[in-house]
Amino acid sequence: MNIAVEIGGRGKRGLLLSNPVMVASGCFGNGIEFRRLFDIDRLGAIVSKGITLRPRQGNPQPRLVETPAGLINSIGLQNIGVGRVIKELAPIWATWRVPVVANIAGESVEEYASLAAQLDGTPGVSALELNISCPNVENGLEFACHPPLAAEVTAAVRRCTALPVIVKLSPVAPNLVAVAQAVVEAGADALTIANTYPALAIDIWSARPVPSFGGGLSGPAIKPLTLRLVSEVAREQLGVPIIGCGGISTWQDAVEYLMAGASAVQVGTITFRNPRAPLEVLEGLESFLQQQGIEDLSQIVGAALGS
Amino acid sequence: MVTSELRLEEAVVVSQEEVCQDTYLLWLSCPPLAKGAAPGRFVMLLCGEGFDPLLPRPMSYHRFRQVGGETQWAILYDVRGRGTRWLSQRRPGDHIWAFGPLGRGFAPERGATNLLLIAGGLGIAPIIALADAALAQGRTVTLLYGAKTASKLLPPSYFPTDLEIVFATEDGSHGHHGLVTDLVPSFLPWAHQAFVCGPTGMYRELANVLRGVSSTAKVQVLMEEHMACGTGICYGCTTFTRKGPRLVCRDGPCFALEDLY
Repeated sequence: MNIAVEIGGRGKRGLLLSNPVMVASGCFGNGIEFRRLFDIDRLGAIVSKGITLRPRQGNPQPRLVETPAGLINSIGLQNIGVGRVIKELAPIWATWRVPVVANIAGESVEEYASLAAQLDGTPGVSALELNISCPNVENGLEFACHPPLAAEVTAAVRRCTALPVIVKLSPVAPNLVAVAQAVVEAGADALTIANTYPALAIDIWSARPVPSFGGGLSGPAIKPLTLRLVSEVAREQLGVPIIGCGGISTWQDAVEYLMAGASAVQVGTITFRNPRAPLEVLEGLESFLQQQGIEDLSQIVGAALGS
Repeated sequence: MVTSELRLEEAVVVSQEEVCQDTYLLWLSCPPLAKGAAPGRFVMLLCGEGFDPLLPRPMSYHRFRQVGGETQWAILYDVRGRGTRWLSQRRPGDHIWAFGPLGRGFAPERGATNLLLIAGGLGIAPIIALADAALAQGRTVTLLYGAKTASKLLPPSYFPTDLEIVFATEDGSHGHHGLVTDLVPSFLPWAHQAFVCGPTGMYRELANVLRGVSSTAKVQVLMEEHMACGTGICYGCTTFTRKGPRLVCRDGPCFALEDLY
């Protein structure tokens, strides 16, 4: 059974995932936390927590609100900054069999380019994921909503690195297909669809919004919404793999995303409920394929899209 | 390298009782989660079936006991929302999914023979685990225990007899009339170390009180914050300490008071 997934390639350095199950940025720390707790080398890839040019302490409390089958978070990209990532984390990643994708977030085109240039050639970093869709920082969604801006940032990063470039899109882009087309034309090797949905809860006892400025909704509640977005973009056949990311909590969810046109999936919020969830999604997917007599994963990718 | 696998384990309910108003004592049998357990550390409990409520609830180890060669453990919790209401409806023999043990617990030093424990409200839960352990090690332990009102205090019969207890209630219905922190200046000079668990307002008040007390006792407090993962991966429970941002679940929940306030 062949379940490997290739991302990038196209004459440049590619990223070969041993299987399609990745873990989503912000939902697996930097991989180090779980290294001793289960066999993370079995995962297709690990996506790091969002990395910025400078260290960030992140947003004040409250950062988390549980909603029906969902979670609103407003972490605010707390991270140690790219310099320390390269010095302290990448050397550890370099010793792992599982590839690590560095998720990067900038406030300007120049910042994204600088992050890409610094991470390019760093052993331990196998690909970049451009987070142009974080709802929890000022203007975090700016790049994700405007096709020309999304293309500009992608092209700038492309010029600075030979690493595969994955662009993580926002589910609230007014015209997601246009954004997807723009970033693929600008050199994106793959698309992650999608990020969290801007959302809000109200604490009725204090009449205050929580988190204070809203946050991003994730978890099982968003799965049907993002699944549709994946199928919309997949129909366009843009020629790059789509990585489905939104509420995947079971292996059945992963199969749905693959059938909707995703070539790989990212497991996120459910890992907070069950630390082994990513491996259980993988195990379930493998036995499903086996049971169905499917020899190659690509046979089910887009199977539900029709002709 | 995988040194100890973290996974959901099935805990079996041994008993459940309401020990004071809206506060429940739940004894569980789940040997994998007794291994490595310690006062101040915690477990994550799934409080419902399906995906709603979605997130596990962090619960401190409250007590341990040996039953037929097995270590059983208990949690003490208030019914506050959907998750804890579901938990309060579990009956003996029911199963609850859980993972742990997690976090860094209280760290009593070897030479600290006199321990002062301070608990506010449900903060008593991990403090009793520490009291039991410290008494078993032959230390002398005094507990200052406060609540809003007498009906929210655990009864004296609940505590080991070797433990000195001083009660306080905010409404004066039992023991000292006022805050439990009012009692600290009389007791702290005797103590080699102090361990505290309660609401964050109590820690702030305690830090104020301590400025007027002459003592070399190091004070450790157990922090609480909303958590999604409990394992250091979501960055939801960050607390901003004098040493920088720290994760309550991974770097704590035990912190030195002087690093916080």
